[in-house]
Amino acid sequence: MWLNPFLRRGPYISRLQPEDDVKLLKAIAARDEAALAQLYDRYRVILFGLLMRILNNREEAEDVLQEVFLQVWRKAEDFDENRGRPFTWLVTLGRSRGIDRLRTLAARDRVAEAGAREAVEEISDAATDAFKSEQRGLVSKALAQLPDEQKRPLMLAYFDGLTQSEIATRLGAPLGTVKTRMRTGLMNLREQLAGKGESFGF
Amino acid sequence: MVHDDYKEMIPARALSALDAAEEQALNEHLENCAECRKDLEDWQATAATLSLTPDPAEPSPQVRERILSEARKDLSSKVIPIRTATKRNIWSSFGSLGAIAAVVLFAALSIGLAVLWRQNQKLQRSKEFVELVNTPGARVSELSGVDPGQRATAKLAYDRNGRAILMASKLPNVPQGKAYQLWFIVGNKPPVPGKTFVPDSAGNAVLKEEMPREAIDANVFAITVEPERGSNAPTSPIYLRSF
Repeated sequence: MWLNPFLRRGPYISRLQPEDDVKLLKAIAARDEAALAQLYDRYRVILFGLLMRILNNREEAEDVLQEVFLQVWRKAEDFDENRGRPFTWLVTLGRSRGIDRLRTLAARDRVAEAGAREAVEEISDAATDAFKSEQRGLVSKALAQLPDEQKRPLMLAYFDGLTQSEIATRLGAPLGTVKTRMRTGLMNLREQLAGKGESFGF
Repeated sequence: MVHDDYKEMIPARALSALDAAEEQALNEHLENCAECRKDLEDWQATAATLSLTPDPAEPSPQVRERILSEARKDLSSKVIPIRTATKRNIWSSFGSLGAIAAVVLFAALSIGLAVLWRQNQKLQRSKEFVELVNTPGARVSELSGVDPGQRATAKLAYDRNGRAILMASKLPNVPQGKAYQLWFIVGNKPPVPGKTFVPDSAGNAVLKEEMPREAIDANVFAITVEPERGSNAPTSPIYLRSF
Protein backbone atom coordinates (compact mmCIF):
# COMPACT_ATOMS: atom_id res chain seq x y z
CA MET A 1 0.00 0.00 0.00
CA TRP A 2 1.29 3.40 -0.89
CA LEU A 3 1.67 5.67 2.11
CA ASN A 4 1.86 9.36 1.72
CA PRO A 5 4.61 10.51 4.08
CA PHE A 6 2.83 13.84 4.46
CA LEU A 7 -0.14 12.08 6.01
CA ARG A 8 1.96 10.03 8.36
CA ARG A 9 3.48 13.03 10.02
CA GLY A 10 1.71 12.65 13.30
CA PRO A 11 -1.23 14.17 15.02
CA TYR A 12 -4.10 15.62 13.13
CA ILE A 13 -3.50 19.18 12.00
CA SER A 14 -6.58 21.29 12.43
CA ARG A 15 -5.80 24.02 9.98
CA LEU A 16 -5.53 21.93 6.87
CA GLN A 17 -6.02 23.90 3.72
CA PRO A 18 -7.99 22.78 0.66
CA GLU A 19 -4.89 21.53 -1.12
CA ASP A 20 -4.38 19.22 1.84
CA ASP A 21 -7.87 17.86 1.30
CA VAL A 22 -6.90 17.12 -2.29
CA LYS A 23 -3.89 15.20 -1.03
CA LEU A 24 -6.09 13.30 1.39
CA LEU A 25 -8.49 12.32 -1.39
CA LYS A 26 -5.65 11.21 -3.60
CA ALA A 27 -4.25 9.11 -0.80
CA ILE A 28 -7.70 7.63 -0.21
CA ALA A 29 -7.96 6.76 -3.88
CA ALA A 30 -4.64 4.97 -3.40
CA ARG A 31 -6.29 2.95 -0.58
CA ASP A 32 -4.63 4.73 2.31
CA GLU A 33 -6.83 4.00 5.31
CA ALA A 34 -5.11 6.55 7.50
CA ALA A 35 -6.08 9.23 5.02
CA LEU A 36 -9.70 8.14 5.23
CA ALA A 37 -9.54 8.42 9.00
CA GLN A 38 -8.09 11.91 8.70
CA LEU A 39 -10.70 13.08 6.27
CA TYR A 40 -13.37 11.67 8.56
CA ASP A 41 -11.95 13.48 11.56
CA ARG A 42 -11.80 16.68 9.63
CA TYR A 43 -15.36 16.64 8.34
CA ARG A 44 -17.41 14.41 10.62
CA VAL A 45 -18.73 17.25 12.74
CA ILE A 46 -19.82 19.39 9.80
CA LEU A 47 -21.32 16.47 7.89
CA PHE A 48 -23.03 14.97 10.89
CA GLY A 49 -24.47 18.38 11.77
CA LEU A 50 -25.76 18.65 8.23
CA LEU A 51 -27.24 15.14 8.29
CA MET A 52 -28.86 15.76 11.67
CA ARG A 53 -30.39 18.93 10.30
CA ILE A 54 -31.76 17.02 7.30
CA LEU A 55 -32.86 13.82 9.03
CA ASN A 56 -33.45 14.91 12.60
CA ASN A 57 -32.66 11.40 13.75
CA ARG A 58 -29.36 10.30 15.21
CA GLU A 59 -29.44 6.72 14.11
CA GLU A 60 -30.35 7.54 10.52
CA ALA A 61 -27.80 10.36 10.37
CA GLU A 62 -25.03 8.07 11.63
CA ASP A 63 -25.98 5.43 9.15
CA VAL A 64 -25.88 7.89 6.25
CA LEU A 65 -22.59 9.34 7.52
CA GLN A 66 -21.09 5.87 7.36
CA GLU A 67 -22.50 5.36 3.87
CA VAL A 68 -21.02 8.67 2.73
CA PHE A 69 -17.52 7.90 3.93
CA LEU A 70 -17.60 4.41 2.49
CA GLN A 71 -18.62 5.94 -0.80
CA VAL A 72 -15.69 8.34 -0.48
CA TRP A 73 -13.45 5.35 0.15
CA ARG A 74 -14.73 3.53 -2.89
CA LYS A 75 -15.11 6.48 -5.23
CA ALA A 76 -12.35 8.88 -4.22
CA GLU A 77 -10.85 8.58 -7.69
CA ASP A 78 -14.00 10.21 -9.10
CA PHE A 79 -13.03 13.44 -7.42
CA ASP A 80 -11.61 15.86 -9.98
CA GLU A 81 -9.81 18.83 -8.52
CA ASN A 82 -10.37 20.82 -11.70
CA ARG A 83 -14.10 20.62 -11.20
CA GLY A 84 -14.43 21.94 -7.70
CA ARG A 85 -13.04 21.73 -4.23
CA PRO A 86 -12.97 18.73 -1.93
CA PHE A 87 -15.23 20.49 0.54
CA THR A 88 -17.89 21.07 -2.12
CA TRP A 89 -17.61 17.52 -3.39
CA LEU A 90 -17.88 15.97 0.02
CA VAL A 91 -20.69 18.16 1.24
CA THR A 92 -22.65 17.75 -1.99
CA LEU A 93 -22.30 13.99 -1.67
CA GLY A 94 -23.31 14.04 1.98
CA ARG A 95 -26.26 16.28 1.42
CA SER A 96 -27.59 14.29 -1.50
CA ARG A 97 -27.29 11.02 0.43
CA GLY A 98 -29.09 12.69 3.32
CA ILE A 99 -31.92 13.88 1.09
CA ASP A 100 -32.15 10.43 -0.52
CA ARG A 101 -32.58 8.91 2.90
CA LEU A 102 -35.10 11.56 3.87
CA ARG A 103 -37.19 10.63 0.85
CA THR A 104 -36.94 6.93 1.59
CA LEU A 105 -38.10 7.57 5.12
CA ALA A 106 -40.89 9.83 3.95
CA ALA A 107 -41.95 7.11 1.56
CA ARG A 108 -42.19 4.79 4.54
CA ASP A 109 -44.70 7.20 5.91
CA ARG A 110 -42.55 8.48 8.68
CA VAL A 111 -44.29 10.90 10.97
CA ALA A 112 -42.17 13.97 11.22
CA GLU A 113 -41.33 14.83 14.78
CA ALA A 114 -41.43 18.48 13.92
CA GLY A 115 -39.89 20.76 16.48
CA ALA A 116 -38.62 17.85 18.55
CA ARG A 117 -35.06 18.11 17.33
CA GLU A 118 -32.90 15.54 19.03
CA ALA A 119 -30.42 16.76 21.54
CA VAL A 120 -26.98 17.02 20.11
CA GLU A 121 -23.98 15.97 22.13
CA GLU A 122 -21.36 18.43 23.17
CA ILE A 123 -18.66 18.90 20.60
CA SER A 124 -15.22 17.96 21.78
CA ASP A 125 -12.58 20.65 21.47
CA ALA A 126 -10.47 18.46 19.26
CA ALA A 127 -13.23 18.40 16.67
CA THR A 128 -13.75 22.11 16.56
CA ASP A 129 -11.98 23.32 13.50
CA ALA A 130 -11.02 26.96 13.71
CA PHE A 131 -10.88 27.36 9.97
CA LYS A 132 -14.41 26.08 9.39
CA SER A 133 -15.97 27.83 12.36
CA GLU A 134 -14.74 31.10 10.95
CA GLN A 135 -16.38 30.26 7.64
CA ARG A 136 -19.50 29.19 9.46
CA GLY A 137 -19.76 32.62 11.04
CA LEU A 138 -19.42 34.26 7.66
CA VAL A 139 -22.15 32.14 6.07
CA SER A 140 -24.55 32.66 8.96
CA LYS A 141 -23.97 36.38 8.79
CA ALA A 142 -24.47 36.41 5.02
CA LEU A 143 -27.69 34.44 5.35
CA ALA A 144 -28.96 36.79 8.00
CA GLN A 145 -28.68 39.59 5.45
CA LEU A 146 -31.10 37.86 3.11
CA PRO A 147 -34.77 38.75 3.25
CA ASP A 148 -36.86 35.91 4.63
CA GLU A 149 -38.68 35.43 1.36
CA GLN A 150 -35.36 34.56 -0.29
CA LYS A 151 -33.95 32.58 2.58
CA ARG A 152 -36.89 30.21 3.03
CA PRO A 153 -36.85 28.73 -0.46
CA LEU A 154 -33.10 28.14 -0.11
CA MET A 155 -33.54 26.35 3.21
CA LEU A 156 -36.47 24.27 2.03
CA ALA A 157 -34.54 23.17 -1.01
CA TYR A 158 -31.22 22.51 0.67
CA PHE A 159 -32.27 20.90 3.94
CA ASP A 160 -35.68 19.48 3.14
CA GLY A 161 -34.95 18.46 -0.42
CA LEU A 162 -38.06 20.12 -1.82
CA THR A 163 -38.34 21.04 -5.49
CA GLN A 164 -39.42 24.47 -6.63
CA SER A 165 -43.00 23.28 -7.23
CA GLU A 166 -43.16 21.70 -3.79
CA ILE A 167 -41.82 24.89 -2.25
CA ALA A 168 -44.42 26.93 -4.10
CA THR A 169 -47.15 24.70 -2.68
CA ARG A 170 -45.68 24.78 0.78
CA LEU A 171 -45.37 28.56 0.82
CA GLY A 172 -48.56 29.21 -1.12
CA ALA A 173 -46.60 31.34 -3.58
CA PRO A 174 -46.69 31.29 -7.40
CA LEU A 175 -44.05 29.01 -8.93
CA GLY A 176 -42.51 31.87 -10.92
CA THR A 177 -42.06 33.90 -7.78
CA VAL A 178 -40.39 31.00 -5.97
CA LYS A 179 -38.00 30.50 -8.88
CA THR A 180 -37.00 34.15 -8.89
CA ARG A 181 -36.57 34.31 -5.13
CA MET A 182 -34.50 31.17 -4.99
CA ARG A 183 -32.19 32.39 -7.71
CA THR A 184 -31.89 35.87 -6.24
CA GLY A 185 -31.31 34.39 -2.81
CA LEU A 186 -28.42 32.22 -3.92
CA MET A 187 -26.95 35.10 -5.95
CA ASN A 188 -27.12 37.36 -2.92
CA LEU A 189 -25.50 34.73 -0.77
CA ARG A 190 -22.67 34.42 -3.24
CA GLU A 191 -22.22 38.18 -3.38
CA GLN A 192 -22.20 38.46 0.39
CA LEU A 193 -19.52 35.81 0.59
CA ALA A 194 -17.44 37.09 -2.31
CA GLY A 195 -14.30 38.88 -1.26
CA LYS A 196 -14.37 37.11 2.11
CA GLY A 197 -11.09 35.48 1.38
CA GLU A 198 -10.44 32.58 -0.90
CA SER A 199 -11.84 30.19 1.59
CA PHE A 200 -15.07 29.49 -0.26
CA GLY A 201 -13.56 28.75 -3.62
CA PHE A 202 -15.38 31.31 -5.67
CA MET B 1 -35.13 26.91 -24.86
CA VAL B 2 -31.96 28.85 -25.42
CA HIS B 3 -28.67 28.97 -23.57
CA ASP B 4 -29.77 31.86 -21.34
CA ASP B 5 -32.87 30.01 -20.20
CA TYR B 6 -30.73 27.13 -19.10
CA LYS B 7 -28.28 29.44 -17.41
CA GLU B 8 -31.10 30.81 -15.28
CA MET B 9 -31.97 27.31 -14.09
CA ILE B 10 -28.51 26.51 -12.81
CA PRO B 11 -28.72 27.97 -9.29
CA ALA B 12 -31.84 25.87 -8.64
CA ARG B 13 -30.07 22.84 -10.09
CA ALA B 14 -27.21 23.42 -7.64
CA LEU B 15 -29.83 23.12 -4.87
CA SER B 16 -31.30 20.11 -6.71
CA ALA B 17 -34.63 21.89 -6.63
CA LEU B 18 -35.60 21.66 -10.28
CA ASP B 19 -38.65 19.65 -11.18
CA ALA B 20 -37.85 16.43 -13.01
CA ALA B 21 -38.64 17.59 -16.55
CA GLU B 22 -36.60 20.77 -16.17
CA GLU B 23 -33.74 18.91 -14.65
CA GLN B 24 -33.67 16.46 -17.51
CA ALA B 25 -33.73 19.25 -20.09
CA LEU B 26 -30.92 21.07 -18.31
CA ASN B 27 -28.86 17.91 -17.97
CA GLU B 28 -29.03 17.38 -21.69
CA HIS B 29 -27.87 20.96 -22.26
CA LEU B 30 -25.04 20.49 -19.75
CA GLU B 31 -23.70 17.57 -21.75
CA ASN B 32 -22.90 19.97 -24.56
CA CYS B 33 -22.18 23.25 -22.80
CA ALA B 34 -18.89 23.65 -20.99
CA GLU B 35 -19.78 27.16 -19.87
CA CYS B 36 -22.91 25.97 -18.08
CA ARG B 37 -21.05 23.06 -16.54
CA LYS B 38 -18.54 25.49 -15.09
CA ASP B 39 -21.40 27.65 -13.88
CA LEU B 40 -22.96 24.70 -12.13
CA GLU B 41 -19.71 23.94 -10.34
CA ASP B 42 -19.58 27.53 -9.09
CA TRP B 43 -23.16 27.49 -7.89
CA GLN B 44 -22.61 24.17 -6.20
CA ALA B 45 -19.75 25.73 -4.27
CA THR B 46 -22.10 28.47 -3.11
CA ALA B 47 -24.84 26.00 -2.19
CA ALA B 48 -22.32 23.90 -0.28
CA THR B 49 -21.64 26.78 2.11
CA LEU B 50 -25.17 26.26 3.46
CA SER B 51 -23.91 23.02 4.98
CA LEU B 52 -21.97 25.08 7.49
CA THR B 53 -25.04 26.68 9.01
CA PRO B 54 -26.57 23.82 11.06
CA ASP B 55 -25.13 23.26 14.52
CA PRO B 56 -22.10 21.02 14.22
CA ALA B 57 -22.79 17.65 15.82
CA GLU B 58 -20.62 14.81 17.04
CA PRO B 59 -21.44 11.29 15.83
CA SER B 60 -20.78 8.42 18.20
CA PRO B 61 -17.26 6.96 18.06
CA GLN B 62 -18.65 3.65 16.75
CA VAL B 63 -19.34 5.27 13.37
CA ARG B 64 -15.64 5.88 12.85
CA GLU B 65 -14.85 2.31 13.81
CA ARG B 66 -17.48 0.92 11.50
CA ILE B 67 -16.25 2.97 8.56
CA LEU B 68 -12.65 1.95 9.05
CA SER B 69 -13.47 -1.70 9.56
CA GLU B 70 -15.62 -1.78 6.41
CA ALA B 71 -12.84 -0.03 4.52
CA ARG B 72 -10.38 -2.62 5.74
CA LYS B 73 -12.68 -5.42 4.60
CA ASP B 74 -12.71 -3.86 1.15
CA LEU B 75 -8.94 -3.91 1.09
CA SER B 76 -8.73 -7.59 1.85
CA SER B 77 -11.47 -8.64 -0.57
CA LYS B 78 -10.83 -6.35 -3.54
CA VAL B 79 -9.34 -7.59 -6.72
CA ILE B 80 -5.91 -6.26 -7.71
CA PRO B 81 -6.17 -2.53 -8.31
CA ILE B 82 -6.70 -1.67 -11.96
CA ARG B 83 -3.65 0.53 -12.18
CA THR B 84 -1.35 -2.30 -11.19
CA ALA B 85 -3.07 -4.65 -13.56
CA THR B 86 -2.65 -2.41 -16.56
CA LYS B 87 1.09 -2.30 -16.19
CA ARG B 88 1.24 -6.00 -16.84
CA ASN B 89 -0.21 -7.60 -19.87
CA ILE B 90 -3.83 -7.13 -19.01
CA TRP B 91 -5.04 -10.04 -21.05
CA SER B 92 -2.87 -12.46 -19.17
CA SER B 93 -4.10 -11.17 -15.83
CA PHE B 94 -7.55 -12.57 -16.41
CA GLY B 95 -6.41 -16.02 -15.37
CA SER B 96 -6.39 -15.04 -11.73
CA LEU B 97 -9.37 -12.80 -12.11
CA GLY B 98 -11.33 -15.60 -13.69
CA ALA B 99 -11.38 -17.34 -10.37
CA ILE B 100 -13.28 -14.49 -8.85
CA ALA B 101 -16.91 -14.24 -9.78
CA ALA B 102 -17.91 -11.01 -11.47
CA VAL B 103 -19.07 -8.55 -8.92
CA VAL B 104 -22.84 -8.25 -8.89
CA LEU B 105 -23.74 -4.76 -7.89
CA PHE B 106 -27.43 -4.66 -7.28
CA ALA B 107 -27.21 -1.76 -4.90
CA ALA B 108 -25.11 0.24 -7.31
CA LEU B 109 -27.48 -0.81 -10.03
CA SER B 110 -30.45 0.90 -8.50
CA ILE B 111 -28.52 4.15 -8.31
CA GLY B 112 -26.84 3.60 -11.64
CA LEU B 113 -30.10 2.78 -13.33
CA ALA B 114 -31.64 6.06 -12.27
CA VAL B 115 -28.76 7.85 -13.92
CA LEU B 116 -28.81 5.67 -16.98
CA TRP B 117 -32.55 6.06 -17.41
CA ARG B 118 -32.18 9.76 -17.45
CA GLN B 119 -29.19 9.79 -19.74
CA ASN B 120 -30.42 7.28 -22.16
CA GLN B 121 -33.17 8.08 -24.57
CA LYS B 122 -33.60 4.53 -25.68
CA LEU B 123 -36.24 3.75 -23.14
CA GLN B 124 -37.37 0.57 -24.79
CA ARG B 125 -33.94 -0.93 -24.37
CA SER B 126 -33.79 0.33 -20.81
CA LYS B 127 -37.02 -1.54 -20.14
CA GLU B 128 -35.57 -4.67 -21.64
CA PHE B 129 -32.52 -4.18 -19.50
CA VAL B 130 -34.63 -3.99 -16.36
CA GLU B 131 -36.67 -7.01 -17.43
CA LEU B 132 -33.51 -8.94 -17.98
CA VAL B 133 -32.15 -7.93 -14.59
CA ASN B 134 -35.34 -9.19 -13.00
CA THR B 135 -35.09 -12.58 -14.66
CA PRO B 136 -34.23 -15.24 -12.09
CA GLY B 137 -30.52 -15.97 -12.15
CA ALA B 138 -29.68 -12.80 -14.08
CA ARG B 139 -26.56 -10.95 -13.12
CA VAL B 140 -25.22 -7.49 -13.63
CA SER B 141 -21.63 -6.56 -14.12
CA GLU B 142 -20.33 -3.04 -13.95
CA LEU B 143 -17.61 -1.90 -16.33
CA SER B 144 -15.45 1.08 -15.72
CA GLY B 145 -12.49 2.82 -17.24
CA VAL B 146 -9.06 1.28 -17.08
CA ASP B 147 -7.61 4.76 -16.91
CA PRO B 148 -8.97 6.28 -13.70
CA GLY B 149 -9.51 9.62 -15.43
CA GLN B 150 -12.11 8.18 -17.76
CA ARG B 151 -15.72 9.06 -17.18
CA ALA B 152 -17.21 6.31 -19.30
CA THR B 153 -19.08 3.55 -17.52
CA ALA B 154 -21.20 0.63 -18.59
CA LYS B 155 -23.39 -2.04 -17.13
CA LEU B 156 -23.92 -5.45 -18.60
CA ALA B 157 -26.94 -7.50 -17.60
CA TYR B 158 -26.92 -11.15 -18.66
CA ASP B 159 -28.68 -14.38 -17.86
CA ARG B 160 -27.86 -18.07 -18.03
CA ASN B 161 -29.32 -18.38 -21.50
CA GLY B 162 -26.82 -15.92 -22.86
CA ARG B 163 -29.18 -13.01 -23.26
CA ALA B 164 -27.20 -9.86 -22.55
CA ILE B 165 -27.76 -6.13 -22.73
CA LEU B 166 -25.02 -3.59 -22.40
CA MET B 167 -25.76 0.02 -21.47
CA ALA B 168 -22.88 2.42 -21.68
CA SER B 169 -22.62 6.13 -21.08
CA LYS B 170 -20.10 8.94 -21.51
CA LEU B 171 -18.16 7.06 -24.14
CA PRO B 172 -15.92 9.26 -26.27
CA ASN B 173 -16.58 9.26 -30.01
CA VAL B 174 -14.62 6.73 -31.99
CA PRO B 175 -12.60 7.71 -35.07
CA GLN B 176 -14.07 7.13 -38.51
CA GLY B 177 -14.02 3.46 -39.43
CA LYS B 178 -13.69 2.34 -35.80
CA ALA B 179 -16.19 1.00 -33.29
CA TYR B 180 -16.30 -0.28 -29.75
CA GLN B 181 -16.36 -4.03 -29.34
CA LEU B 182 -17.50 -6.12 -26.39
CA TRP B 183 -15.43 -9.11 -25.22
CA PHE B 184 -16.28 -12.04 -22.99
CA ILE B 185 -13.56 -13.62 -20.96
CA VAL B 186 -13.76 -17.10 -19.47
CA GLY B 187 -10.90 -18.00 -17.16
CA ASN B 188 -7.57 -18.19 -18.95
CA LYS B 189 -9.03 -18.60 -22.41
CA PRO B 190 -8.61 -16.01 -25.13
CA PRO B 191 -11.33 -13.35 -25.12
CA VAL B 192 -14.46 -14.28 -27.07
CA PRO B 193 -15.52 -11.49 -29.43
CA GLY B 194 -18.94 -9.86 -29.01
CA LYS B 195 -20.71 -7.33 -31.19
CA THR B 196 -19.39 -3.92 -32.15
CA PHE B 197 -21.27 -0.72 -31.49
CA VAL B 198 -20.98 3.04 -31.91
CA PRO B 199 -22.30 5.42 -29.24
CA ASP B 200 -24.63 8.30 -30.09
CA SER B 201 -23.37 11.88 -30.06
CA ALA B 202 -23.94 12.13 -26.31
CA GLY B 203 -21.75 9.07 -25.77
CA ASN B 204 -24.58 6.69 -24.85
CA ALA B 205 -24.95 3.23 -26.27
CA VAL B 206 -27.23 0.27 -25.76
CA LEU B 207 -26.26 -3.07 -27.19
CA LYS B 208 -28.38 -6.21 -27.26
CA GLU B 209 -26.26 -9.28 -27.44
CA GLU B 210 -26.62 -13.05 -27.55
CA MET B 211 -23.57 -14.32 -25.79
CA PRO B 212 -21.70 -16.91 -27.87
CA ARG B 213 -22.11 -20.43 -26.46
CA GLU B 214 -18.46 -20.62 -25.44
CA ALA B 215 -18.85 -17.35 -23.54
CA ILE B 216 -21.82 -18.37 -21.38
CA ASP B 217 -19.54 -18.85 -18.39
CA ALA B 218 -17.75 -15.54 -18.85
CA ASN B 219 -17.27 -13.60 -15.70
CA VAL B 220 -15.13 -10.78 -16.99
CA PHE B 221 -16.23 -8.35 -19.67
CA ALA B 222 -14.20 -5.80 -21.52
CA ILE B 223 -14.57 -3.21 -24.26
CA THR B 224 -11.91 -2.19 -26.76
CA VAL B 225 -11.80 0.01 -29.84
CA GLU B 226 -11.64 -2.07 -33.02
CA PRO B 227 -12.14 -1.68 -36.75
CA GLU B 228 -15.83 -1.19 -37.58
CA ARG B 229 -16.38 -4.81 -38.57
CA GLY B 230 -14.95 -6.11 -35.35
CA SER B 231 -11.93 -8.28 -34.64
CA ASN B 232 -11.50 -11.90 -33.67
CA ALA B 233 -8.95 -10.96 -31.05
CA PRO B 234 -8.52 -7.57 -29.39
CA THR B 235 -6.14 -5.27 -31.24
CA SER B 236 -6.18 -2.36 -28.82
CA PRO B 237 -5.80 -1.90 -25.06
CA ILE B 238 -8.89 -2.42 -22.95
CA TYR B 239 -10.99 0.70 -22.65
CA LEU B 240 -13.61 -0.45 -20.15
CA ARG B 241 -13.72 -3.63 -18.15
CA SER B 242 -15.48 -5.29 -15.27
CA PHE B 243 -13.62 -6.29 -12.16
